[in-house]
Amino acid sequence: MADTKVAIIAANGSLFDAYKVFNVATAAAASDAEVGIFFTFEGLNLIHKEGHKNLPIPEGKEHFKEGFEKTNVPSIEELVGIAQELGIKLIACQMTMDVMGLEKDEFVDGIEVGGAASYIEYAKDANISLTF
Amino acid sequence: MNLVANETLDAKGLACPMPIVKTKKAIKNLEPGHVIEVHATDKGSTADIKAWSESTGHQYLGTVEEGDVLKHYIRKASEAETSEEKKHGDVLDLDGLRSKIDGDETISILDVREPAEYAFGHIPGAINIPLGELEERFEELNKDDDIHVICRTGSRSDLAAQKLSEKGYQNVKNIVPGMKEWQGPTETNN
Repeated sequence: MADTKVAIIAANGSLFDAYKVFNVATAAAASDAEVGIFFTFEGLNLIHKEGHKNLPIPEGKEHFKEGFEKTNVPSIEELVGIAQELGIKLIACQMTMDVMGLEKDEFVDGIEVGGAASYIEYAKDANISLTF
Repeated sequence: MNLVANETLDAKGLACPMPIVKTKKAIKNLEPGHVIEVHATDKGSTADIKAWSESTGHQYLGTVEEGDVLKHYIRKASEAETSEEKKHGDVLDLDGLRSKIDGDETISILDVREPAEYAFGHIPGAINIPLGELEERFEELNKDDDIHVICRTGSRSDLAAQKLSEKGYQNVKNIVPGMKEWQGPTETNN
């Protein structure tokens, strides 16, 4: 998989969305693929400095909380750290940041900021593209 | 099954994708050709470790279940083994070996893979001396025997066959390509 490229769009901000994004992304990176995630709209929560530590469980699904604890699933904070350690490119959407009035320093360290064109440029030769 | 690995990684109690992430980190420090044993309780880890090995080019040997614990065995890829060049002149293909096994003469088979590779499937009656131990252990072999050296792809067995010839063994054949393509009977360690 060393020559495989994975492009992911993260557009939603619940805890479930975060797991979908980071599990696939870290598994791909651990398999030697090049991985980039473009965070847009609610997806920005997943890399927000405070937000990503306290992501909401979707309404009516609160009972899953226990399952997460019991199965010893890594925290999102931990997964973000692993993602960065594995060299996954984290790109925050400039337009959404402007709409929401967010600055780059409100996000976890090491992210990049870019527009839709940056994502398209990155994803144009991706072997796998996913949207969550 | 009692297996020997060079390293052990404890990934028990961890959920997906952590067993894979930890294995990736651990294998980085492992010497090429060595075997790592990964202990996990994540039921999905068997399929995942297998797929991960496939995509990263490492060799998945197999999994042993002990109670709730899954022990996965992976051998780190070794570039030396992908070389096509063989130096030991006396070679025999797998069909040739099979007809010799089915024939009347007594032959000896020396399997020079790692013990964990051998444990998950070898030709019945084959002796296991890993290539790395041959220098110290070659005297366990009888000089008058017709020795058939096998590994996974024919590279390690080529080196082993050369070594045995240097030590004065006259009847040494390198079996090509090796266990990777072997269709005949195998047995596993119990």
